[in-house]
Amino acid sequence: MDVERLLEEIKTKLSDVLVEAKIDRPRYASIKVKPEGMVKAATLLKENGFNHPLSVSGVDYPDRGEVEVVYHVSCLDSKSLVALKTALPRGQPSMPSLREIWRGVHFHERETWEMLGVKFEGHPELKRFLLQEDWEEGVYPLRKEFKLKPES
Amino acid sequence: MPIRVAWGIQHPMSGHLTLYLDVDGDIVLNTEADVGYTHRGLEKIAEYRNFIQYVPVIERACDFDASNFALGYVRAVEALMGIEVPERAKYLRVIAAELSRIMSHLYAQALLSMTGGFETMTVWSANDRELILDLLERLSGARVTHTYIIPGGVRADIPKGFKEKAYDVLNYLERRIWDYYKMLFQNKTFQDRTMGVGVLSKQDAIELGITGPNLRASGVDFDVRRDDPYEAYDKLDFEVVVEKEGDSYARALVRFYEIAQSIKIIKQALKDLPEGPIRCKTPPMLPRGETYTRIESGRGELGVYIVGSGTNKPYRLKISAPSFRNLAGLVYLCRDIPMGDIPVIYYSLDILLLDVDR
Repeated sequence: MDVERLLEEIKTKLSDVLVEAKIDRPRYASIKVKPEGMVKAATLLKENGFNHPLSVSGVDYPDRGEVEVVYHVSCLDSKSLVALKTALPRGQPSMPSLREIWRGVHFHERETWEMLGVKFEGHPELKRFLLQEDWEEGVYPLRKEFKLKPES
Repeated sequence: MPIRVAWGIQHPMSGHLTLYLDVDGDIVLNTEADVGYTHRGLEKIAEYRNFIQYVPVIERACDFDASNFALGYVRAVEALMGIEVPERAKYLRVIAAELSRIMSHLYAQALLSMTGGFETMTVWSANDRELILDLLERLSGARVTHTYIIPGGVRADIPKGFKEKAYDVLNYLERRIWDYYKMLFQNKTFQDRTMGVGVLSKQDAIELGITGPNLRASGVDFDVRRDDPYEAYDKLDFEVVVEKEGDSYARALVRFYEIAQSIKIIKQALKDLPEGPIRCKTPPMLPRGETYTRIESGRGELGVYIVGSGTNKPYRLKISAPSFRNLAGLVYLCRDIPMGDIPVIYYSLDILLLDVDR
């Protein structure tokens, strides 16, 4: 489904959890929902042909006290791409895993968990992936408080 | 009675990963992958570098396909800034990116044929890859990590005599690849070794988020170069190669035909190369905002998600690397197969661990 029609449908069906929905440029849209609406939004996206998950990113915003999680999912038929976003509280970021809907996000969610500490509830394999086994608990490299040491 | 075997980080394939295999005799029942041995924190480094300093860094994310990775990052930066590069730079970028793709595909073919016991083919591919490396060296001054594509355009114009040399190499390669076809793809032993091995259905490939040649080998007709065109690809004539079978043979064959298409693209780009400047000015700061761009790299779709905050450093850079997604395909396919098929599947998916770990 093309993004214009998709956004109309999102606006009618997800009005209770929708924060923002806009078209960034032709065939690229971004949708921001409340954390509790993620499963509903993802299901709706999948029903509309967005079944090709490409990326999960986390962005840390300490000044807003939020961690934003962004799912980039493409639709191969309409050749369009949607960024599905949600903002989680920075202290205990947690949201339901979307692995049951898009199984390709399995490793992506695992990476986001270890790099930013976002807990994906229902994810069966939240354990170290890119970092070493003995990496300190509770230290998340892509959080802003984690500073790189200058090379001497 | 299944037992668990840790296969790695030294194993018969290239790259550092451990595969935890649950094996019953020779049959692998289930696989878990442990990666991260070459994790360098490239995404974190981006937050500490001026956006222009980061071009050589991202090339290290995948140094067998350096120009495509640089292009993916540079396009994200330019999309955020909202600048359009000069026409000549677009064509030169296409030339560098396609040379880089041939380099990557030849390398994949060399490794796949090595694991099947076709060392002759390995040497042929590696030798011919040298010719492409020589071309890239003429173009950019470096063989493997070129840093040719930079924000605003390209670093240098084509040198004197480059076109003639490029036509020589491309004409040679155009004939030469049919030797590969006879030597490898029509070889009964190679066919037996790869046909029907690691079959990835269309549905699975889409749901796992597989991209690029591996997706097209499973019958999905999608190529970012054609379907979401960037640079000069919308003005160039080429075909998107699609195979239906989804097995290791089909994946190798898609790469093989893509080499031919890349040669075609480079020849056109050299012929149509417009006159004009090769660079435009870029603002010194990354504006506030965010964008996601994607390009077709040799191993699949490279997505770059960049968040700018009004400084000269990216606030956040996410490299959504093709091999990271292909790893999901590897883990999925390494079930209920003989252990000896793992290298074939691994190489046919063209996974590069540098690119997984970043």
